[in-house]
Amino acid sequence: MFEKLDIFRMSHAMATHAGARQALVAQNMANADTPGYGAQDIAPFQEVFEARRSAAVPRATREGHLMGQDMPSGLEPSEREGMQRDPNGNSVALETEMLNAVEVKRQHDRAIAIYRSSLNQLRTALGRG
Amino acid sequence: MSDFANSLSVSASGLRAQSQRLVHVSENIANADTPGYRRKTVAFETEFKGAGAQGTVAPGPVQLDRRELAKVYDPGHPLADETGQYDGSNVDLIIEIADAREAQRSYEANLKMFEQARQMSSRLMELLRK
Repeated sequence: MFEKLDIFRMSHAMATHAGARQALVAQNMANADTPGYGAQDIAPFQEVFEARRSAAVPRATREGHLMGQDMPSGLEPSEREGMQRDPNGNSVALETEMLNAVEVKRQHDRAIAIYRSSLNQLRTALGRG
Repeated sequence: MSDFANSLSVSASGLRAQSQRLVHVSENIANADTPGYRRKTVAFETEFKGAGAQGTVAPGPVQLDRRELAKVYDPGHPLADETGQYDGSNVDLIIEIADAREAQRSYEANLKMFEQARQMSSRLMELLRK
């Protein structure tokens, strides 16, 4: 179970994803009244995670490895589709952003809870509970 | 961590822009009865600084509303012309109040995001305890 510590890596990726999305939601909200601004978003964590897992590319696990270093992180922002635009070209809906903000917060809390509980397990296994 | 720093600075720029907007709204309301005063408006712009896709918001240049000034009939007024009228201001109080409300709502939304980013990063810091 603790050979590769995949769960730490996964919760780390989840928290990173939540952080990146939080930055985008904040950006959308700040630009809620900017003419011509399109709402930005990144793919949900589930999709990013699946894409990374199913992509059979070699991963760089040591510094000497040359392959797999420029793998896409899946966190590139893109404009959210299907949003209605205001007459001034702005497509931010504050309600949607609020919803996303709550989602991001819950995802981040969840990732940290997973990390913390795995850490506690590891501590217990080491006899320092 | 830099995502949170980004998030905080973007939210802060939103707060700044909205309060700038509120400044212009209150200027307009204060000058609603000033003869010849034209309503000030400001449009926001997205700023992309550096290589990171950080989109802070900034108020653009102040522009004057080009609608016609209201004619006020008052023959006793020192500025009145021979028909007894003078140019009032083109401030519409209802528009200004609606604008102020919108600015307030957006300000609150930005404040909420600021608070959330702060909470998330402090939650992360708590992991280091113990």
